[in-house]
Amino acid sequence: MRLLLVEDDAMIGEAVRTGLRQDGFTVDWARDAESGDAAIKAEAYALLLLDLGLPRKSGLDWLRELRRRGNRTPVLILTARDAVADRVAGLDSGADDYLVKPFDLDELSARVRALLRRDAGRAEPLLRHGDLTLDPATHEANYRGETINLSAREFALLTALLERPGAILSRAQLEQRLYGWGEEVESNAVEVHIHHLRRKLGTDFIRNVRGLGYTVSKAS
Amino acid sequence: MTSSIRGQLLAWLLGALMVGGLLIGYSAYHRAQQDIDELLDYQLKQLAFSLSHQSVGSASPPPGLLLPEPDFITQVWDKDGVLMFYSRPNLAIPMRPRQGFSNVEWNHQAWRVYTQLDGFRTIQVAHPLSLREEMAASLTRRAVMPLVLLLPLLGVGIWIIVGQALRPLSSISSALRARTPSALEPLPQRDLPEELVPMVGSLNDLLQRLNRALEAQRQFIADAAHELRSPLTAVQLQLQLVKRAGTAEERAAALERLERGVQRSTRLVQQLLTLARQDPQDAAAGSTSIDLDHVAGEVVADFEPMAQRDGLTLTLDSQGPVHAQGDEDSLRVMLGNLVDNAIRYTSRGGVVVRVQQMGSDAVLEVEDTGAGIPADERARVFDRFYRVPGQKTEEEGSGLGLAIVKRVVDRHGGRISLDSGTGGSGLRVTVQLPSGNS
Repeated sequence: MRLLLVEDDAMIGEAVRTGLRQDGFTVDWARDAESGDAAIKAEAYALLLLDLGLPRKSGLDWLRELRRRGNRTPVLILTARDAVADRVAGLDSGADDYLVKPFDLDELSARVRALLRRDAGRAEPLLRHGDLTLDPATHEANYRGETINLSAREFALLTALLERPGAILSRAQLEQRLYGWGEEVESNAVEVHIHHLRRKLGTDFIRNVRGLGYTVSKAS
Repeated sequence: MTSSIRGQLLAWLLGALMVGGLLIGYSAYHRAQQDIDELLDYQLKQLAFSLSHQSVGSASPPPGLLLPEPDFITQVWDKDGVLMFYSRPNLAIPMRPRQGFSNVEWNHQAWRVYTQLDGFRTIQVAHPLSLREEMAASLTRRAVMPLVLLLPLLGVGIWIIVGQALRPLSSISSALRARTPSALEPLPQRDLPEELVPMVGSLNDLLQRLNRALEAQRQFIADAAHELRSPLTAVQLQLQLVKRAGTAEERAAALERLERGVQRSTRLVQQLLTLARQDPQDAAAGSTSIDLDHVAGEVVADFEPMAQRDGLTLTLDSQGPVHAQGDEDSLRVMLGNLVDNAIRYTSRGGVVVRVQQMGSDAVLEVEDTGAGIPADERARVFDRFYRVPGQKTEEEGSGLGLAIVKRVVDRHGGRISLDSGTGGSGLRVTVQLPSGNS
C-alpha cells in the first residue's frame, strides 16, 4: 500500500514514515502542499496523510482543491488543532478521518487500515482467498490451517494481488506499490518475492501472465 | 487611620457653623452693649432731668422706666453740699462735683453715675454697670440660642445628605466587589455625578489595559501549548519507534532520533521561558551601562564550536569600546539568538558580528551568507511562532528566536532592521541601542 504523507515537521514526518514502513506500508513524504500536489498527480496513492499547518498553502485549502478536482483518495488529517470546530471543518472539507497530535503510531496504522478497508468496500478486517487468510493488522498469514511466515514486502505483494482477485498487476505496478521515493529497487525484486511466495503457497497460487504481469485466480 | 468623607464633611460643616455662631454671638453682644449703654445713659439723664423739675419731697422716678426702680440710686444735694434726698438710705455714693457721666468704683461695685448741677442743687443718678452686662448677655443668649439648638438637627441632616450624595461611590464599589477576576468590561459611565466621571474613566482605562494584557497572555499560552504539541508528538512517535526496534542498530538509530526530539522540546521550553521573562512592561529593569563589545566577544566565543562544527567562519569586528544602556543578560540572549539563527540558516560561508559606536547609539550587526529572508517576509519574522516557509534546517526552529530579539530591542528602546547582506545575498540584522550617556 503506497501512502502519501504531507507533513512539514521534519521529526514527525520522519518518525511517521519509519513507523508506517515498519507496518508494511510504502510511504512517500512531501514537506508542503505544492510538492504533495505534484506527487498526487504523478502517482496513484491508496491514502493521503495530511498535516493542516503547512507553510504557504494550508492543508485544508489544498484538500478542498483536491476534492473539487474530483480526487477520491481517502484522506486522514493529522493535526495539532483539536477544537471541535476544526475537526468539523476538516471532515467537511473532504477528509475521511481526523487524528489529533500527539497520536499513537499503532492507532495511526489501524486507522489507515480501516480507511483502506472502507475504500475497498470491505467490512471484514481479514483478507480471505480460498484457504489463505491475511491479517493486515498483525501481518499474520494462514494457509490451509497453518501459519506461514511472510516478509513485509511479501505480505504487501500478496495483499495487492488479493485485493482484486483476477486482475493482472504488472511488474511496474507492483514495484510502485512496494517501493517509495528514494528506495532502491533491484531489477528482479518482484520476481524474487513471487518466487518466495510460490515456495510457501505452492506454484499455482500466483499465476504469471506472460508479458502482462501477475494475478491470483478469482475465488474458487 | 481611615478617613471618611462623610465624617469629615460633618465635622467641618458643624465646626464652621459653630465658629459662625460664636462670631455672631460676639458681635451681637458687642452691639447690644453699645445700644444698652446709649439707652441707659439717656435714661439716667432723663431721670436726673425729671428730678430737677420736681420738689425734693416727692422724688419718685417717672413712670415708664426701663429698669425697675430699686436698681437706681438717686441722691440730691443742696448747694452747700448737704444731702437733701437719697433713694437708698444704706447706699450713699459720694458726690461728684462735675456735670455729666462718670464711672465710679464704690462699695466693691462699678457704677455709672450721672451728675446734674443746676445752681441750687446737685442731682446724681446712678446704677451698677454689672446690670448692663447682664442685659447684653441675655440679649446675646436669645439671639444665639436657636442656632445652638439647631446644631444637632443640622448634624443629622448633613449626615443624611452627604450619605445620599456619596451613594454612587458605594454602588460602584459594590459593583466592583461583585465582579469575578476575569470580568474586565468597563463600568457604566452613564448617570454618574460629574465628580466621579474622571475616576470611573481612568478605572475603565485601567480595566481595558488589563483586559488587553490578559488577552495577550491567554493567546500566548494557547500558542505555546499548540507549539509544544509538535515536538511532543515527535518525541512520542520516536519513543514508540524505540520500543518497536527489533535490532540493535534500529534501536540505536531510534534512540538518537529520540534524543534530538527531547533536545528540541527542551529548547522550545527554554525559549518560551526567555520570552516570558522579557516582560515589555518593566523597561527600566536592570538598566546599567554595558560594554557591548565585551558581551559580543563572549557570545562569539560561545558559538565558535557550533560554527566550526558546521564549517562556517564566525568573526567579531569591534573597534574600541561600545556602550549600551540596559540589562546585560537580556542583551546577551538577544545577540546569542541572532548568532544562533545566522549559523543555523547558513550552510556555506560565515557569520560576522559587528559592534560600533555611532553617535549616541550603539550599533550591532549580525551578517551571514545564508539564504536570507525575502523582503516580503521580513515584517512577519518577528511574530512569535512564525517560520519563513521553505527554509529548512536540520533541526526544527522554535519560531521564537526573533520574537525574543524584538522584545529585548523594544524593552531597551532600540530599533531593529533586516536587509540583505553585502552583495545582495544573505541576511544582515542591524540593532541600534541608545548608549544612554548623551
